[in-house]
Order: sequence, then C-alpha cells, then structure tokens
Amino acid sequence: MAGARPGLRRVEQIMGTAISLDLADDLPAATLHELAERTFAWLREVDARFSTYRADSEVCRLDRGELPLAEASADLRAVLERCADLWTGTDGFFDAYATGRLDPSGYVKGWAAQVASDRLVTAGAPNHCLNAGGDVRVRGHAAAGGPWRIGVRHPWDPAATCLVLTGTDLAVATSGVYERGHHVIDPRRGAPAAGLRSVTVVGPDLGVADAYATAAVAMGEPGIAWLDRLPDPWRHAVVTDDARLLGSRTLPVTD
Amino acid sequence: MRRAFLAITGLAAGTTALVVLKGAPGAGQAAQDRPVAEAPVVPAGSPAPGPTPGGGTPSARPSASAKPSPRAGASRAPASRTTRAAPRTTTAAPRTTAPRTTTRTVTGPVVTYEYGSLQVRITLSGSRIVDATGLGMPLDGQSGLRSDDVQARYSGSSGEVVAKQGANLSTVSGATYTSTAYKRSLQAAIDKA
Repeated sequence: MAGARPGLRRVEQIMGTAISLDLADDLPAATLHELAERTFAWLREVDARFSTYRADSEVCRLDRGELPLAEASADLRAVLERCADLWTGTDGFFDAYATGRLDPSGYVKGWAAQVASDRLVTAGAPNHCLNAGGDVRVRGHAAAGGPWRIGVRHPWDPAATCLVLTGTDLAVATSGVYERGHHVIDPRRGAPAAGLRSVTVVGPDLGVADAYATAAVAMGEPGIAWLDRLPDPWRHAVVTDDARLLGSRTLPVTD
Repeated sequence: MRRAFLAITGLAAGTTALVVLKGAPGAGQAAQDRPVAEAPVVPAGSPAPGPTPGGGTPSARPSASAKPSPRAGASRAPASRTTRAAPRTTTAAPRTTAPRTTTRTVTGPVVTYEYGSLQVRITLSGSRIVDATGLGMPLDGQSGLRSDDVQARYSGSSGEVVAKQGANLSTVSGATYTSTAYKRSLQAAIDKA
C-alpha cells in the first residue's frame, strides 16, 4: 500500500459516515496534503451547516423558522432548489420532507462530494476517487494507471460486491434497504418501500445520482421502469428483493 | 460434486443468497451467455456473514394505489420474464441432483428469515455455480409492472448476474454508510488496492 505509488489516501468520519479520498496525481506530498486538507475541511463545513443532527446547523435553524430563507446561505438555497427540482423530477419520490421535517441529507452528501471533486479538478488534481459513505465520484485514473474500478456492494453480503463498474469520469450512488431493514420511506404512503433491494445510479452528478437511487428504492419495482426512462447519460443497476440483478445495457460494467 | 454438497451445506446454514441471480425464464444454463456468469463456487468453509435474503412480504409491497407509474406504460400484461414462481423441470425437493452431463441443479432447504421464507436452487456447471434462483418468493402481481420495453432494453433476458465479484477494486459503492458492515467493506477495498 504505502510505498512506490504516487498520491495520497485519507479516510475521515464526517456526516456520520466514512469518507475516503484517494488522490492519484503524482504531486508533491505537501501539495497532496493541502488538497486533502481542503477537501475534508469543506466536507466538515457542509456537515456543520447542513446536518439535521446539529441543532445549530443552518438547516435546523431554517427548519425551526429561526433563519429566514432570504438570509440563508447561497449554498443552502441552491440545495433547496435542487431538492425541489428533484421532488418534481422523481414524481415526489425524492422528498426532502419525507420525515416530516426538512432533511436534505439524501442530496447533500452526494452534492458535497461532487463539489469537492469539482474543486480538486480545478486545483490541479484531475485523478482522484472520493467515496462519501458509499457515494462515489471518480475522475481520471487510479494511481496504478488504469481507470477506477468501483465495486457495487452485494446486497446480502457486506464483504462482497455484485458488480464492478469502471470509468474515468463517473458518479456512482447506491441506495438500498439491506442494511437497516426497510428504511427507505415511500413518501406517498409514509410506509417503508419494498421490491428493490439495492439501486445503483451512474451519471455525471453525484447528488442527483444519490437522489435518483433513493427515489427508485422508494418506488419499489415500478422504480425499474422509471430508471429506464431517465435520459442519457444516466445508467443504473438494480437488485430486486427476489435477488435478480438488472441493469442498463450500457452500464460500464467490467469483470 | 463434493463442492456442490459443500455449497448446499452453506446454503442450509441460512446463508442462502450468496449468489445473486435474477430469475430467468429459461433453465439454468441461461446464465452462460455472459462471461461474468462464471461465479466461483462459494467456499463452504467460510459461512457467510449472516445474509438475510430479502423479499418483502406481499403485504409490504406497494399497494396498487400507490404505484408510481410516473408515466404511462408500466402496467402492461405480466412480462414473460419473471417466471420465478413457475415450476421448473426439476423438482423442488431438497438436494435433488440430476447428474447426467456437467450441468445439474441443487435445491436447498426452506430457510426462514426476517421477511418470510425462501428456498434457493443453484445450477452448477462442473464445479461452478452458474445460476441461483430463489424459489417460493412472494411475487404477487408486481412482476406485471415491468413493461415489455423495459424488458427489451435490459441486458439480456436471462440470469446474468452473478455472485460475488470484484478484484482490484478502487472503492465500493453501497448504501451501508453508517454501519460497521460498510466500514468493513470500505476497509477491505482500501486494503486490496
């Protein structure tokens, strides 16, 4: 692991989850550390501002009515707009108010990682992989030279993957119900969704990919048809409750 | 053959869905149209970490009135694809083998789990599992929700998906983000790279 390969890796616990960054560019160590520092600082900032578990976060203050929308940060307003768009775009199945209060987490985590990745590109690190609690944004190539290889977790075996995707510019988000029972709520019924065990969405934007995956799980089996109608370049893979795996023909699958 | 029995033992231990395959209308050989289908037989020596094969109970499925069907077209006649409940040629009796050529099927016992019970049948070619199907899974009318054009656009109409895959991974995508399982998976991926 450590040794000859260039780049840097770091894992931190933020947003209640593990976030790992793999910088694959052959840059000076100090530069890489600075890039990682900035990346994690951004993610911690997002956590502080958007967490629903921190009473003093912007999101909580807005939700309690203490912060007028007009005074909210540009980031928060942009996130709320995107959540509204996604609510429409998913026929209401992505719902930042599904829990009865404002909770944009289903979009925020992917969005924050996407922004972090965009910033890394701008900062001169076009080869990296950022995994925010299972939501993955890859760019360029791995340190070993080839395109990134992203495993999709096997729904019934946490130690295994059931699919391997590969690419040089992909956002990959997986939503599923395998870990904590059926915890994705169908916002239309207020009841747990069933039918799809795991949904993986692949596309250009991680926040949207995560929201789409969550929405499809909430839809249940009809979510398959819905995913199939997403425009290019969105791709998906689905594992049903009865253990079938379906996917877009053009999914960037590898062995 | 011995590996097959080992595999059964593994299944019987309540670790049924180690191999994920979507159901295929055809018989077991269907999975062979794709190279990935060469699922290595799961070593029976490593009892899987307690998978609980899912499947909502019928009552847990979305009610008809709640079907999203965002746009029209999702409610066509039941697609021919999902024929899991249809009896296949082999019997459902546990441990049935039909050793004639290299392909045979083996059916595991009924296993009760969190959301119901199920039974898994595997198809082996030589010592490799090439298909695995959950039997007796609650399906009700949901299969009909899959429209024909969706069927047509999906990659292959037969069991193509296979078991545990993945070597030289850069990372892992999954929904397990707050769990220890996720951390294990993540760590494993990191260690492998």
